[in-house]
Amino acid sequence: MKLHLISLSLGLAALPFTGCRDQKIMAYRAPKDPAPVMAAAAPAQMAPGATLPDGHPAIGGEAAPASAPGAMTGNVPTAEGMALLWTAPAHWTAKSLGSMRKGSYAVAGEAGAVGDLAITAFPGDTGGLFANVNRWRGQVGLGPIEAAQLEASLKNIEANGLKITIVEATGQANGVPTTLLGAIVPHDGQTWFFKLIGPAALVTREQTAFRDFLSTIKPR
Amino acid sequence: MSDFVRQIRDFFVSIRLTVVLLIMSIILVFAATLAQVELGLWGVQQKYFHSFFVMQEIPHTGITVPAFPGGYLIGGLLLINLLAAHIYRFKLEWRKSGIQLTHTGLILLLVGELLTGLLAEESLMRIDEGQTKHYSESYRQYELALLDLTNPSYNEVVAIPETVLAETGTIQHPQLPFKVTIKDYFPNASLQRRAQAPGTPAARATAGIGPSIAVLPLPLNAKESEGNLPATFVELAGTEGSLGTWLASPALSQPQTVVYQGHTWEITLRLRRYYQTHTVKLLNFTHEKYAGTDIPKNFASRIQLTTDNQSEDREVLIYMNNPLRYAGLTYYQAGFENNDRTSILQVVRNPNWILPYIACLMMGLGLLLQFGIHLVNFSRKRAAT
Repeated sequence: MKLHLISLSLGLAALPFTGCRDQKIMAYRAPKDPAPVMAAAAPAQMAPGATLPDGHPAIGGEAAPASAPGAMTGNVPTAEGMALLWTAPAHWTAKSLGSMRKGSYAVAGEAGAVGDLAITAFPGDTGGLFANVNRWRGQVGLGPIEAAQLEASLKNIEANGLKITIVEATGQANGVPTTLLGAIVPHDGQTWFFKLIGPAALVTREQTAFRDFLSTIKPR
Repeated sequence: MSDFVRQIRDFFVSIRLTVVLLIMSIILVFAATLAQVELGLWGVQQKYFHSFFVMQEIPHTGITVPAFPGGYLIGGLLLINLLAAHIYRFKLEWRKSGIQLTHTGLILLLVGELLTGLLAEESLMRIDEGQTKHYSESYRQYELALLDLTNPSYNEVVAIPETVLAETGTIQHPQLPFKVTIKDYFPNASLQRRAQAPGTPAARATAGIGPSIAVLPLPLNAKESEGNLPATFVELAGTEGSLGTWLASPALSQPQTVVYQGHTWEITLRLRRYYQTHTVKLLNFTHEKYAGTDIPKNFASRIQLTTDNQSEDREVLIYMNNPLRYAGLTYYQAGFENNDRTSILQVVRNPNWILPYIACLMMGLGLLLQFGIHLVNFSRKRAAT
């Protein structure tokens, strides 16, 4: 009898909660999303050395670093939180972050040219400097360098106690001369990437602003 | 009264049932706390508390069986137990009025928690400075949205939730001019450019960006901080036959469209959206720190709240412990990102939000009353002796 009572009570307790929450197909009228702040920046975001057909949209935001599992996908675990702070130059326009970016800016140039500055962070060393420098070179259509050439291709600076490695690579993207100006900042078990990519003339003009920007990066 | 009915009554009014249920609650909370390491907060809530039974797989069999009563069952039984005891033992006596008020408050609290679990909806609004938003998004539920973009001033949306995608099969919705066949669905998947993923199976997608992308299914990730990115293959078919098969995933940053019968449709897998009849514009976000330190003092979002019919258009300051309550929603300041340029507001729709306040008030008053009565009686006795 006791068992009967228990099963009865279980049934009674379950009764009020048998309904299922709204998991139905919904149809509704919705206002249009406002256009992204700088839609023109999208082509610059697409890595020039990538293999997607011309005119196809980019996958995700910044591509994953060299050694991240599932590299080149939008599903790489990024570093949590905002361990670094920075101040962007006033003429850079903040834009939406996408799924992987910690910071995202459109850098406008002459005649409608737009550069894309992406800030991303990942746990660990993400495959090391050598692999990441070659990954970035690939994005402007350049071949990989040898390990022995690595040191010569880098510039190192220090800012606010952070060691910053600067990488510059100029190549071609969709037939347009393109420059990638990047900085790799290891901090607290994470690796932070600051990457400006865009038409070569624009990025060259932004060199000083980019260096000044790097000098503002500081631990939170 | 028959023996059977009496036994039922005695079972439900028994204090032993209360004790057993309270012990079970302690075990449940303990087990759930340990499981949080593996499952994360959300996973634990679903498995242990928002369920009637904690389901466990028998190792190496793939069969899941109920292993322990879940939060809804224990809470529900406690509620029945409390109610039954209350009704059975209820006597309108001034002497016990405080206890009765306290118990009624406790019942309300339990009912309130159940209603909150069943009715409340929580979502997030990530909003950049200067941006205006009409909707908030789910923390982790996705939806396949088919948007008719033809009208220049609005979109017609048909949103298919993940639970329907998981069942695959064909959907013919009255708002859609084509049939939608969910050919495959992965609750968590990684995307890779096909050229860089040699040896992956042939592409299932025939249109959009899908043919150049390989989908690599991943195990479900229960950790709150990491989450899952689903992917699905969707075939659209009109009266003349297939229009193509698309890959949809939130990892694809640009939308994909198809033109059918003069209408442009967008196919996108996105976080589930909750549209409101008002907009929120983030005017500015401030992040104050204690002078000379990086210790946060206050986060605040100054927003412009505007209703669609323009009946309301005002500025509101939302900061920690000072949420905006409007149209059945509560906007809390939940976080920030993007170097203090993006504010994250938690948006909660809880039709039951007032009940816990009433319950706590009743319990407080009940205890005050009960102890007050005891104090008065005690003083009288002392005075008499």
